Amino acid sequence: MPKAFPLPSDLSPATVANTASLLRIVALSLISGAAIASRLFAVINFESIIHEFDPWFNYRATRVLASKGFYEFWNWFDPTAWYPLGRVVGGTVYPGLMATSGVIYNLLHALNLPVDIRNICVLLAPGFSALTAWATYMFTKEMKDESAGLLAAAFIGIVPGYISRSVAGSYDNEAIAIFLLMFTFYCWIKALKLGSALFGTLAAIFYFYMVAAWGGYVFITNMIPLHGLVLILMGRFTSRLYVAYSSWYVIGTLSSMQVPFVGFQPVSTSEHMAALGVFGLLQIVAFTQLVRSHVSSKQFQDLLFVALVTAGLLGAVAFVGLTYKGAIAPWTGRFYSLWDTGYAKKYIPIIASVSEHQPTAWPSFFMDLQFLIFLFPTGVIMCFHQLRDEHVFVIIYAVMASYFAGVMVRLMLTLTPVVCVAAAVAFSSLLDTYVDAAEPEEEKSSETSGAATPSDASSASTSKKSKKEKAAAAASTPGNALTDLVAATAPTKKGDAPKAKGIYGIDTRLAVIGNAFAMLAFFVLHCTWATSNAYSSPSVVLASHNPDGSQHIIDDFREAYYWLRQNTPETAVVMSWWDYGYQIAGMADRPTLVDNNTWNNTHIATVGKAMSSSEEVAYPILRKHDVDYVLVIFGGLLGYSGDDINKFLWMVRIAQGVWPEEIQEPNYFTPQGEYRIDDMASPTMKNSLMYKMSYYRFSELFGGGQSMDRVRNQQVPKVGPTLDVLDEAYTTENWIVRIYEVRKEDLLGRDLKSANAFAKGKKRKRSKPVSKRRPIL
Amino acid sequence: MLRRLCTVSLLSFTLLAAAKADSFENTAIVRTIELGGSLVHVTTTFAVKALEAGSTVYTVALGDAETQKTSWLEAKVKGQATPLAVVDRAPDSTSGVHLVDITLPQALGLNATVNIVLETIQTHATYPWPERAAQQEDQALKYNTDLFVLSPYHTAVQRTKIRSPTPTVHSYTTPEKLETFTLDAPVTKSGATITYGPYNNIVPSANKEFILKHQQPVVVHFGYEYPVAEVPTLKRAAEISHWGANLNIQDEIHLRNAGPALKGHFSRLDHQTQSFYKRSAPHVIPGLTLHLPAGIRNTYYYDLIGNVSTSRLRTVPSVPKNAQSNQYSVLELKPRYPIMGGWNYSFTLGWDAPLEDSASWDKSTGKYIVEVPVLTPIPATVVNDAEVKIILPEGATNVEFATPFPAVSSSMSTHITYLDTVGRPAIILHFKDLTEKHALPIFVSYNVPLTAHLKKPIAVAAAFFSVFAFGLVTRRIDLRIHKK
Repeated sequence: MPKAFPLPSDLSPATVANTASLLRIVALSLISGAAIASRLFAVINFESIIHEFDPWFNYRATRVLASKGFYEFWNWFDPTAWYPLGRVVGGTVYPGLMATSGVIYNLLHALNLPVDIRNICVLLAPGFSALTAWATYMFTKEMKDESAGLLAAAFIGIVPGYISRSVAGSYDNEAIAIFLLMFTFYCWIKALKLGSALFGTLAAIFYFYMVAAWGGYVFITNMIPLHGLVLILMGRFTSRLYVAYSSWYVIGTLSSMQVPFVGFQPVSTSEHMAALGVFGLLQIVAFTQLVRSHVSSKQFQDLLFVALVTAGLLGAVAFVGLTYKGAIAPWTGRFYSLWDTGYAKKYIPIIASVSEHQPTAWPSFFMDLQFLIFLFPTGVIMCFHQLRDEHVFVIIYAVMASYFAGVMVRLMLTLTPVVCVAAAVAFSSLLDTYVDAAEPEEEKSSETSGAATPSDASSASTSKKSKKEKAAAAASTPGNALTDLVAATAPTKKGDAPKAKGIYGIDTRLAVIGNAFAMLAFFVLHCTWATSNAYSSPSVVLASHNPDGSQHIIDDFREAYYWLRQNTPETAVVMSWWDYGYQIAGMADRPTLVDNNTWNNTHIATVGKAMSSSEEVAYPILRKHDVDYVLVIFGGLLGYSGDDINKFLWMVRIAQGVWPEEIQEPNYFTPQGEYRIDDMASPTMKNSLMYKMSYYRFSELFGGGQSMDRVRNQQVPKVGPTLDVLDEAYTTENWIVRIYEVRKEDLLGRDLKSANAFAKGKKRKRSKPVSKRRPIL
Repeated sequence: MLRRLCTVSLLSFTLLAAAKADSFENTAIVRTIELGGSLVHVTTTFAVKALEAGSTVYTVALGDAETQKTSWLEAKVKGQATPLAVVDRAPDSTSGVHLVDITLPQALGLNATVNIVLETIQTHATYPWPERAAQQEDQALKYNTDLFVLSPYHTAVQRTKIRSPTPTVHSYTTPEKLETFTLDAPVTKSGATITYGPYNNIVPSANKEFILKHQQPVVVHFGYEYPVAEVPTLKRAAEISHWGANLNIQDEIHLRNAGPALKGHFSRLDHQTQSFYKRSAPHVIPGLTLHLPAGIRNTYYYDLIGNVSTSRLRTVPSVPKNAQSNQYSVLELKPRYPIMGGWNYSFTLGWDAPLEDSASWDKSTGKYIVEVPVLTPIPATVVNDAEVKIILPEGATNVEFATPFPAVSSSMSTHITYLDTVGRPAIILHFKDLTEKHALPIFVSYNVPLTAHLKKPIAVAAAFFSVFAFGLVTRRIDLRIHKK
């Protein structure tokens, strides 16, 4: 057999195997190192700090768990959240994340390694990303081979789509969930391949862990049954499938019901019915197989027909009946919005107001996955090539995840692993073909080489073809892929007789491999850039640059929160928009009215109403809720665009959903339909508490000059708003956070407005009659 | 026999009397009080004439209130640098005075004179008045003291000068009924100085009768242009590491503005306007400037919610041990927010310093001696409660320590941290009312046997070995039921 380049031939198979094994271990450790290191940008650029919003709650809950123990955490009722309602934390969280950190914390402390709980929380996500790389390696190994596994591990280790949710400090459920997702899938594939109850049970255990860790466990709950169902429909029912599925479902479901937040949902909600249905179907099919081996073929066919029709009808009737009777809960709103992207905007503004629930923009696919998004369809097509049971799984996963990623930005996260797997399969096939030293022999011995090369050659041609069709491939569906596949494979099957196809010479190989490695290099550059620039900001701390290029930290949030923590009574209730609830609870340690656990729409709408109505209307609301301080975010001085005035319309909309008579969105626009804050702003806008709090004394800062709001690029009115029911308590250095104290009722029983006017009237006697007239109006 | 007993009792009587009465006479006492915020410096000069030959122990008396306030006391002979030995008498609740014995450097002959300078620092001696001040208003404090300097001896003439830091003195007490001591005006004010006295011919005053009859309070209300900072609690942990050749010092400081509480609310606009025109309100603490030791590294400053990135640090390299140099690193520490009157701010400040800068090894006894300062001086600030914890290396034995001044309490405990097996011995000391004068070193000496030094590498090696051994065994165990 001719060779394109010389290979050493005197190596024993044992040496090759051992060296390969060592190289794999080294490669995997390096990949883990790269995965962890690339997530540390945030720690190096800023500090070891918990990021964003939800992680602050997780961190706070973990601190309770670490300091008071698991039972105390389980029974934790938090009276400071959702004041005055409180929140049963133990029963409304997925405790997996906190339990993981708690276990690590206690283990390290038992070993006399007193690591701070904050550092464990901050570094948990990078640590688990290394485990994810390993799990992806194991999973991909089952799809193709070890080299594809290593590629997949390297891809998932540094791909921005996953880094976006797992940088150091991003202490959220997703941090551990992706590892659990991949490992559950790996155990499932392994169980299916081996027909092993052990791996089925392992899959169930990791499924339980996943249920305890992330609401996205429903994805597994539906993926595995779907895979089982498709296999049955393809006529691939085997006892291995039966063993794997039954052991997974029974143990997994029973254990998942132990999580209090999930409870009886696995037997009572629609999301979980598919798993139950497939479990029943499997029993029927298995029973049918048993019957088939005992009765004749004709009898069996009649029996089968009758049985199938009855079972199908009964099942459907039972499902519909139970849903109507209420035994099975219908799908939740968040679930509906997966199918109808406009649903949330119409019916549940609170879900639509979250940026990560928006549909994905096209560029973000490239931003998060770079060249993997082009390789992804290729890899999926290659799965059709062999179409073993596990390949069916990847195909289903790819289709489902692609759809969901298109619907909701945050579900990009579930797409990323399958993209990495499929891309790695495609990429490693390309490398296999071109690195392989074998050249096709001359025409005489085409029969012998035909057996070895066609599959490689065809895969290579497939990948080349798809590279040409990059743009089309990104949007390709399995239907397209199938025709592609036919087109690609048809000539090779026939064509090995006339002429041996293959790769000749070392230059061809170098050209392709060089190109491929260049793509990998660009991928690494892109990942580093995206991670450091887009995904590594804690958003609690902002950074800008001084004129000399050094970093300048804008730390207004913590300044305000720390001020609250140190200089207000511990029972002071703070009202703010729900985005900041977790941060106030975590950093300022003060009771809040609403927070990021948006379970009570009315309560949020109440806050929205208080913010968007005039002082006279808002004051009774504030007093009834014992509010001591009101906190607003104002970016006008610095140009920080994520401030409350920009979020204000959502407050109005959510309040309007509950009080349509009192709050109307159009009132906050100018007659021309513009959203303005300058002199032309609508009177409702100017009288709203939010507007007044944001711009109180803002124009005075410019000392009579033009006062500019740098976010809206509009001029703020020269005469600023006045406040009667609130006092400015604290404003941070860059005015980003402004805290107001709610005045208590006047001691003489006057309303605060006339009391305030009276206090001022002492200085300017002329204004007295005006203040008298006002209450009449 | 009887006679002998008599002489003994007579002798002891004269000894007592020597301290009590007529061995000395004060020809003049001048007390100068430098008013301040948290700290008030009082310098009292006693011009002493011995009435008996061979007198060596001179006694000064402090009133009850003064004893409460005084946190630091030092006596010197005027013009000399070495402080004199000072012994506190046991407190006596009935007399209303606290006596302190000062041992003179040499015995005085009959009618010999000496000038003794007694320097004390009073803490918590002033309080804001009015108790609340708005952001733009000025700050004023009140200071209370006693009119007379008490002394167990006869005093020919005494006067008290109270110096205010600013000429703005809102009010001061005019004492009455002083006909026995003076016929002139009992008090005069010129500029920022208020002078009480001179008062003549004062009988021995360290007794109840005099205090009840003549002592009277003096109150001065003065303007003060600097913030009044106070540290309610300070927790210092000093960790000595021989493996890292490192002395880590970490202070958990709770800082409080003890000036007038903020009236109304804090307005950022006003604050920014004030700092723009460089007319900052007197009762705002915008930051602190601390002098940290030379040669420190890895300085950190954070609070309960993370790093505070608004400070500047200028370090200088370590100073060789016996070199006479007072170089220090300067830390301009800025809190997250300006600390207005009555506001709190707690934070943690720590650094690593080379161990060789503060440790030495005594060859003869094989002991290490380490000096750890009680606190880092914060200018013009009082530390109400301080806890100093000195963590020695693991396995240290024969631990001895010497404090520069007596601690309120001291105890030993065990501290367990990274790579420890049995934990490290730790000395915990408590102090009260510390000032910048108290920033003196505590000396700790201990032995560390070689086996204790080797504990860490052995523990780490054992841990790794057990992991590998576990891996080795598990690789060779086959749990399969069906062998393939």
